[in-house]
Amino acid sequence: MICCKECLDLLSDYMDGDLDPQTSADLEEHFQDCPPCIAFLNTFKSSTHLAGETLREVDIPEVVQGKMKEFISQQKKKKS
Amino acid sequence: MSFTQNKETKEAEEALVREFQAGNLEAYDQIAEIYQKKIYALSFNMTRNPMDAQDVTQEVLLTLFRKAHTFQGKSAFSSWVYRITLNATYMKLRSKKKEPNVSLEDLLPAYNASGYQQEKIQDWSENTESLLFANETREVIQKAVDQLPEKEKVVFILRDGEGLSTEKVSEILELTIPAVKSRLHRARLFLRKKLSPYFEEYNSRREKK
Repeated sequence: MICCKECLDLLSDYMDGDLDPQTSADLEEHFQDCPPCIAFLNTFKSSTHLAGETLREVDIPEVVQGKMKEFISQQKKKKS
Repeated sequence: MSFTQNKETKEAEEALVREFQAGNLEAYDQIAEIYQKKIYALSFNMTRNPMDAQDVTQEVLLTLFRKAHTFQGKSAFSSWVYRITLNATYMKLRSKKKEPNVSLEDLLPAYNASGYQQEKIQDWSENTESLLFANETREVIQKAVDQLPEKEKVVFILRDGEGLSTEKVSEILELTIPAVKSRLHRARLFLRKKLSPYFEEYNSRREKK
């Protein structure tokens, strides 16, 4: 059976679905007998998801959009 | 959770670029409209500074306006835009004094000689959804991302923030696929470790109630 280190080294590939079926099955076998690794997997998934969502929340402020619009029209005038 | 650019979007964008290259200024408006949010968000997540993100957005829009004719289509147009954005962002970051980053190695999991975990792991993963858009959570997460070393940070932002594929990130950063994967994995391990105390505490507060 694979050890915790081998298991945690492959966690991103496992989560992203990048492992071959046999390696995935080896990891799942390890999880069955290893509650700490399950806890690690769950918290690893959660922190990744929460951090990704937080980054995705960033939006360009309306006032900046307005400034960019103005800037673009200036550039176009210069060119034409 | 991947928002990988599909083929139609890619073709539509590259058609716009060709129109702009041929002198149609209206096509540029659409290009700017499509990209300004991505440029701003990437730069803001890297610098965590609204003024810098605004400067970078303006600079990149100008570069696209002036240099789009030099785009040759060797890689996707979007990869080119991301690369220009990152270069402008790095210039901003270089001009500032940086706080030393936390060592990644200290935050990787600890094992015994046979490769088994030595830490006690608390599973705080349930009930965190309600925390997602709370200001405090956002600050804790942003602070943790800011502490990532730059190489890992940029990969994490592009992959898990922007939702780009590993292949796309490898094209943008000109890194091999294994290098992207290894940086992403280290970033995720780092963030799990950094964020765990906050979520553990939240969970124990909940249980006391």
